[in-house]
Amino acid sequence: MSGSLLLQSLILGLLLGGLYALLAAGLTLYFGVMRVVMIAHSAFLILAAYLAWFFTTQTGLDPLLSLIITVPLFFAAGYGMQRALLSRLRPATLTMMSVLLTFAIALIIEGGLGYLFSGTQRRIQLGYSSASLELWGARIAVVKLVAFGLAAVSLLALYLLLKKTRFGQALRATIQHREAAQLLGIDTDRIAGFGFGLGLATAAVGGTALALDATIYPSLHWHWIGPLMAIIVIGGLGSIPGAAVAAMLLGVTQALLQIPMGTTWAQTVFYLALFATLMFRPQGFFGGRLAQRF
Amino acid sequence: MLSASRHKTATHQAGRTSQGRSVLLTKLVVAAVLLGLVLAFPALAPDPFILSVGVVIASYAALAVAWNFVGGLTGYISLGHAAYSGLGGYGTALLVTEAGVNPWVSMVVAAVLVGLAAVPIGIASLRVRGASFVIVSIALVLILLLVAQSWAEVTGGSNGLRVPRPFGTDVLRPEQHERFFYLFVALTLVALVLWWVIDRSRLGTGLKAIREDEDKAQALGVPTFAYKLVVFVVSAFMTAMAGGMYALWFGSLDPIFQFSILTGSYLVLMSLLGGVRSLLGPVVGAVIVGYAVEFFKNQYGDSQMHLVALGVLLALVVLFMPDGVIPWVSAQLGRFRPGDTSIREVDAAQLAEERKALEEAKS
Repeated sequence: MSGSLLLQSLILGLLLGGLYALLAAGLTLYFGVMRVVMIAHSAFLILAAYLAWFFTTQTGLDPLLSLIITVPLFFAAGYGMQRALLSRLRPATLTMMSVLLTFAIALIIEGGLGYLFSGTQRRIQLGYSSASLELWGARIAVVKLVAFGLAAVSLLALYLLLKKTRFGQALRATIQHREAAQLLGIDTDRIAGFGFGLGLATAAVGGTALALDATIYPSLHWHWIGPLMAIIVIGGLGSIPGAAVAAMLLGVTQALLQIPMGTTWAQTVFYLALFATLMFRPQGFFGGRLAQRF
Repeated sequence: MLSASRHKTATHQAGRTSQGRSVLLTKLVVAAVLLGLVLAFPALAPDPFILSVGVVIASYAALAVAWNFVGGLTGYISLGHAAYSGLGGYGTALLVTEAGVNPWVSMVVAAVLVGLAAVPIGIASLRVRGASFVIVSIALVLILLLVAQSWAEVTGGSNGLRVPRPFGTDVLRPEQHERFFYLFVALTLVALVLWWVIDRSRLGTGLKAIREDEDKAQALGVPTFAYKLVVFVVSAFMTAMAGGMYALWFGSLDPIFQFSILTGSYLVLMSLLGGVRSLLGPVVGAVIVGYAVEFFKNQYGDSQMHLVALGVLLALVVLFMPDGVIPWVSAQLGRFRPGDTSIREVDAAQLAEERKALEEAKS
């Protein structure tokens, strides 16, 4: 194995890890505000990728511009979904039933995409699709850098939003202790809805980034949901930094394992890490009090 | 006065037991009629296609009852039971083709092996509650799908794995369907009896305590982890039996269909629709959903609309009748009956009489 190949895999792993981190942050937000495991997250990811593809084929503009439409749209959809559907479920069985409800939504999205756009594999062709940078012998495609940049900027924006604004404070208070937040005058129902919308907005950004350099098809979301679920459990459910670290580590491991093992077997690293985590440290590596019980 | 009141309570009690007996009798008669209808189905089916749909539904019933060991008794919802049915199917097929074992023996051996494999999986996934359990169940199916597709030397990969028929070549296709229909019904009955026995045992009581409130159950001394593990392994074993039988009937295995989250979600939908808390709920659900699935596939063919239909159905069940259709229907019927109250409908005079009778009996 040559050094440049290793370096290339390492960089690709980091770039992929960035996208995983953004999406896992979305999943963590849902879990934080409502203790909900959102199976449909990756289905919305693929939906956003399809919207970006559709936007580009229809208008001929850059798929990044579709973010102007998809991000507000997904934010509204997330808010609506939380207010209209998930908040109707009984609190006692919320975790289990929300899994089933979001699973149903994922099926509806997959089926709808298959019906509208058929099962054909789609790919966006761009002027800079085949452009790449060379760095000490490692070739990195420009689209992957753009995708990573998008993920990194969004993650940073999310971080600043949560840490520096009043809304972020209210959201974190709602996550930490709902009743206490209510006593402080926070409208927790609305905030939970906004948290959900924010989570879904990460899927919109991630989907556009994915559409830049991946071939998409309706059932692709199953390939994403497994790794993402593994990441949030390993990071400790409810911990955004934990999810980000786990995403980076697993992304790099996956990319490095691809060299000797091939793509399919390399994917199993997520599941092996998941089982090992549950065997030896069920609360994950960064999870606090919250993760113990879930 | 005294004798009169005693006489009254005696007839009251007698009335109650005879009422209980008649309810039991009605239940038995209904069960016998239903079973008779089920057993007569192959004779009534107009053509082999309908018969094969019946076999699919019977296999779903066996799988759904097997799922309900975990889902109904403990409230842990597994979306990944296709992992165990798929493993059972592949295990059976490999034992028959590679080792030349008798098909029925291989079915049982494969199921036992799956049961053993379920022990470490259960230890990993049952230590955490709710969300993580579901995540692990999904991850298990995805990992097995990857392995089955990549490890083509053993599983045949996407080309599929052919399973030789357990009956000789002189047994024709419709005859095969008929025999397998009875076999699946028998397997479902075995699973139902086992579920009924567990439901009424100390184990079942403990499991239901876990379902209602795991912390309290643990505080009361229920060995929650061991109980969950036992029923998890039983469920995996029964699921693998049904999967193995399916492999012998269908005759060919493809990873995409064997290790599919969709199959697992069918089982959840069936049990939930029928009612996870009742014995026959999953069977009722299997008949409704199994028929609907076959209907949608026929109606929409290759388009993906059957996914949308399944998704909408699942969402409606989760939102509006999470306890299942049987409790929902009986609740709707209950509207026309006199309402249940917690107020005892006896007046003070009657109560005083009863108390006096009790005191006199003591002295």
